[in-house]
Amino acid sequence: MSTGAAARIEPGARPRRDTGLPRRLLDAVLSNTGARITSYLVFVLGWQILGGLYERVPGPVEVVQFLADEIGRGGVWDAFQVTLERFFAGVAIAFVAGVVIGLLMGMWPLARALLKDTTMVGLAIPAIIWALLTALWFGFSWKAPVLTVALTATPFVAINVTQGVQGTPRDLIRMSKAFGVSTHRRVRELVLPFIMDYVFTGLRFGIILGWNGVLLSEWFASTEGVGWRTRYWYDANNFDGFVAWIFLFVAFIVVFDRLVLSPIQRRVFRWRTTVAMR
Amino acid sequence: MANVALRRQGVRAPSLAARRWKQAAVVIVGWAAFFALWEFASSVLFNPYRLPGPVAVFEAMESIVTSGDAVKHFKASLGKIFLGFGFGVALGVPIGFLMGTTRYWKAFFHDPVLVAGSIPGITYAVLALVVFGIGIEGPIVAVALISMPYIALNVSAGLEGIDSSLIMMSRAFGRGRKDVLRHVLIPTITPFVFAGVRLSFALAWKVEALTEVFGSSDGIGFMIRRSYQLFSVVDVLAWTGLFVIFMLLLERVLVRLERHLFRWRPQEATA
Amino acid sequence: MAVLKVENLTKVFPAAGKDAEPTRAIDRIDLELSGHAFVSLVGPSGCGKSTFLNILSGVEEPTDGSITVTSDEGGPARFGYVFQDPRLLPWRTIMQNILYVHDDRGEETKRRALEYLDMVGLAHTGGMYPAQLSGGMQQRVGIARAFSVDPDLLLMDEPFSHLDAITARSLRDQLQEIWNRTRKTVLFVTHDVMEAVQLSGKIIVMSRDGRIHAEFTIDLPHPRSAADPEVAALQAEILGEFEKIQAAAGNGAAAPAQAG
Repeated sequence: MSTGAAARIEPGARPRRDTGLPRRLLDAVLSNTGARITSYLVFVLGWQILGGLYERVPGPVEVVQFLADEIGRGGVWDAFQVTLERFFAGVAIAFVAGVVIGLLMGMWPLARALLKDTTMVGLAIPAIIWALLTALWFGFSWKAPVLTVALTATPFVAINVTQGVQGTPRDLIRMSKAFGVSTHRRVRELVLPFIMDYVFTGLRFGIILGWNGVLLSEWFASTEGVGWRTRYWYDANNFDGFVAWIFLFVAFIVVFDRLVLSPIQRRVFRWRTTVAMR
Repeated sequence: MANVALRRQGVRAPSLAARRWKQAAVVIVGWAAFFALWEFASSVLFNPYRLPGPVAVFEAMESIVTSGDAVKHFKASLGKIFLGFGFGVALGVPIGFLMGTTRYWKAFFHDPVLVAGSIPGITYAVLALVVFGIGIEGPIVAVALISMPYIALNVSAGLEGIDSSLIMMSRAFGRGRKDVLRHVLIPTITPFVFAGVRLSFALAWKVEALTEVFGSSDGIGFMIRRSYQLFSVVDVLAWTGLFVIFMLLLERVLVRLERHLFRWRPQEATA
Repeated sequence: MAVLKVENLTKVFPAAGKDAEPTRAIDRIDLELSGHAFVSLVGPSGCGKSTFLNILSGVEEPTDGSITVTSDEGGPARFGYVFQDPRLLPWRTIMQNILYVHDDRGEETKRRALEYLDMVGLAHTGGMYPAQLSGGMQQRVGIARAFSVDPDLLLMDEPFSHLDAITARSLRDQLQEIWNRTRKTVLFVTHDVMEAVQLSGKIIVMSRDGRIHAEFTIDLPHPRSAADPEVAALQAEILGEFEKIQAAAGNGAAAPAQAG
């Protein structure tokens, strides 16, 4: 009989109940939360070691110290406010443009022929180039970061949407066509719900890359915002400050993903059943 | 009174030759559209100084190639990318596998992978500069670290989305984990691994260039930075153009490979 | 009342490679179906039955010949389709799935949808998701869906072949009941001769060369039970004919020794 030992992957599972303290400690360490905490500890430890090995690399302690000072000095929230405005504006543009382009390319061969190569070029151009180009074009203005985010993220959303459309289950498409369901309805009730998964993946990629893009753009072409502050400390050869701001920058996207993106993803995809994960 | 409610007439299927011509036309139309759009933006939307048109950029590209700079710097960049990418795959596949199959490892790696994927390339670029100085190690490590999360996430997603009925069937027949691995898991995740590879390959290119912008004395990124510092939009575009062409060519090779590997998949019906 | 007329219908699939032969999936088929008939199309796998249905419903284009549907009412022809697998949208409820194939979703349509769900015994499942139903139940929803559009022509492509024998038998009986009440024109594709004899008024036999080889008309009253000796005798007879045809058409199917 296979359903017993072969099916269980989870470490630490035992057939007999045993509730002593060592047992409970082990359970806690091996739980999801325990795993998370362990990985953070491993990371901080690794960082500390790296900081010890390399003179110029600031260790976690110095960075935290700097952060405390910086927050005391004020201006952290202001910088983020500026950057976030630009970031979300860019993401909004990328979402709309990406979904539209992706749908067009996925559904009509003519649109695919016209747009695919342009999209591929867009995918190929790294955020740094957009940051440099928009800096050359718009100088020190909010247009540069917003456009950098939009240009960086749109192709990723589009290409994911296209893949989703093309991956829509053929049998359901055939069923719709056999019953004469109108294209408009087919898109709204079959294609769009199905591709939500892909839209979301594309948006997630887009958000991550767009976040990088806004940093790069503000590094080169801004006098305020998170990217500019980061550069400020780098130019001053203050690596504590540089790493501290990078840390803030990264912390934001992590928190955003945890509190916003993941819950949405979980809610929208209720109807899936997964067996592989125990 | 009968009324014709439907009529379907026979229509000759296009010959093989006709289909080939159609495919060629598609490629031509795609690129024509791209250049038309560019020329339009250059001469009508902006102006030729701010946004040089295709002709000016092609001339600049030509002079870069003939001067031998193109080959010299591309060789430098390419070498770094491949090494870094190799490390990224070597790290990403095992991590992705652990994440996709075991709850514990998913929780363990979830945050680090996400963070590693979110860390702006610029951080890797500068940290690499800080740790390794100007040289080849920086870009290689940066590429490895940036590509690893995408591969890991793709492999993990592929395993999670696996057709649960296939796994149930395998378990019902008493197939051990090794068999499930060989016959269900690996064939199912291979497309995802390949997708992860193909996706992160493009990314690797970009991060490599980015690292070079900040901390190199050769390579494409270095030359792009130089052009930027000289305020030469046309040169930035020319180097970008070469960068893009190269990458697209490589991607086309990968697509051919992918098509060859997955011949058994039926052609998708248009949605 | 709808009339289906198929003339000289041919479908050739282009050669797969340079040296391969093009495939003749359907070869010059002539067919006429008039209203309220339950017609079965029987043949071995790969004889072009599914291709024929695909062409009928517009999923594929024929290479030659024509299909005409005439009806007494105005408007384009409406098809109902039941597949081998249920093909329900997993992210929509059962009721929403039925409404999906209707253009007009007013109160009248909802009432009709509920009525057909009730006919297949699933009136209480309207708010559930497909994943919560068994395969047989999902297939019944598929049947209700097809009937609910009030089609000019109902196409069924081996709808019971993926079900276990017990569920299939019960669904066959349910199908007969519904058909008795609604008297739709049905084109029923199957490889199971016994099933065809039980359900249809007319049986058309195809074989692997994509041609029609024989037609049988069956006059027994509906509903028919497989246990009825008259039905059983007819089944044996037609099965024998069927196997002779397949053997003659060079399918290589060994015909067991049968009387008649």
